[in-house]
Amino acid sequence: MVTLAQARQNSLLAALDVADAERWLRQLEAVELPLGAVLHEPRAPIEYVYFPATAIISMLCVLENGASAEIAVVGMEGIVGISAVMSGLASVDRAVVQRAGQGFRLRARVLQDEFGRIESVRRPMLRFTQALLAQTSQTAVCNRHHTLDQQLCRWILMSLDRLSGDELAVTQELIANMLGVRREGVTEAAIRLQAAGLIRYSRGRISVLNRPGLEQRACGCYAVVRSEYSRLLPVRSAH
Amino acid sequence: MTTASADSDNALVELLPAADRANFIAHCEPVAFKLGQVLHTPDADTAFAYFPTRGFISVVAPLASTPGLEVGMVGNEGMVSAQLILGVGESPFRAVVQGAGDALRISASDLREQLGECPRLKAVLDRYVAVLIRQFATSAICVRYHAIRPRLARWLLMCQDRAHTDSFRMTHEFLAYMLGVRRAGVTQAAGALQAAGTIRYVRGTLTVLDRDGLERTACACYRADRLAFSSLLR
Repeated sequence: MVTLAQARQNSLLAALDVADAERWLRQLEAVELPLGAVLHEPRAPIEYVYFPATAIISMLCVLENGASAEIAVVGMEGIVGISAVMSGLASVDRAVVQRAGQGFRLRARVLQDEFGRIESVRRPMLRFTQALLAQTSQTAVCNRHHTLDQQLCRWILMSLDRLSGDELAVTQELIANMLGVRREGVTEAAIRLQAAGLIRYSRGRISVLNRPGLEQRACGCYAVVRSEYSRLLPVRSAH
Repeated sequence: MTTASADSDNALVELLPAADRANFIAHCEPVAFKLGQVLHTPDADTAFAYFPTRGFISVVAPLASTPGLEVGMVGNEGMVSAQLILGVGESPFRAVVQGAGDALRISASDLREQLGECPRLKAVLDRYVAVLIRQFATSAICVRYHAIRPRLARWLLMCQDRAHTDSFRMTHEFLAYMLGVRRAGVTQAAGALQAAGTIRYVRGTLTVLDRDGLERTACACYRADRLAFSSLLR
């Protein structure tokens, strides 16, 4: 059985009243989330919701022709599958593990049942949903208006906020898929950031050398989303 | 106090059972809104939620030193100030009237009370939030992949669905901001639609002449958006 201390690695679970959290412990399952694992596909019913601990999940919106791009990332500050819980409908997006790690899962119908009637469960989930809406809309702004360099900075920073340390294990291909751009574009952008002394990129690993510099180079979208998250969510995931 | 009857032309309010609906409407007041009116701004407490019965409103995400980018559109199928459903008094978005109309307006505190008292209202609005998330997500990917002309066609169809009329007032400049493109790009795309006989654009008034043509031109995001709302209503 998952212990309270373990569950609290996820900030939303940590924000639950102790009584609610303890009731959930028996039903929460600790899971390993390997890189690339798909937690749910678009238009398929959701069996589980996920609360990441050390893993990071990308929410990808998929077009009819198969093209996709990331619309939000969820890490230890959140939950994957909340809109399906709120609507009782299939999810619109694909949830893919972007950084391998641990998390917890809960049967969606357990949360669905409690969400409608237990205010102390509902409240933190709703606040997270507002943060997610802010992130999603800011992603739209960023996709439209900002350079690939800026988007890459934002993406690295948002990933960094959801893990400890300053290293990301990630291929350029994965970043290209997330940002919905060609791989060559990501390579060129990474070279520019490296030349500016902000990151070091080697064989599937990005080390951040100068975080303030990266923040400066990123567009305003990163700051907008970060301030929404810190305003809305109980435990800071970011710095 | 309102004299509104228990009938409403807002789809969300219509989803409530008759008794709940009458009670909900009794807490609302009918208001009119004008083109360009701002219903809520970022970082100010949201005082009211609006359930439009006519007209439509853009939900605009902020972008420094510009009017921002439209990420959602609300007409009589939806609600403005969804942050109140989520128990949050502030929102990062601006809600700007695109097409003048009317709404049922309810204060933030009355809505909170109603959400506590009426499980059916809560369920309907929860579903609406999920549809909004979907709309925002579609916006994010649409701006990434689709060209101006199909996006403009999609946008016009969304306006027409909500305005319930074929003509609306619109400047190229405003359109450019909403779509997040340069003015020249909008002029070009609108010119192409006009040349194809799909729309007419004269002195700031845009008229849809050939809806089927627009639907053929629009990106698949238009259909995705329609589908999201029809699943809400099921």
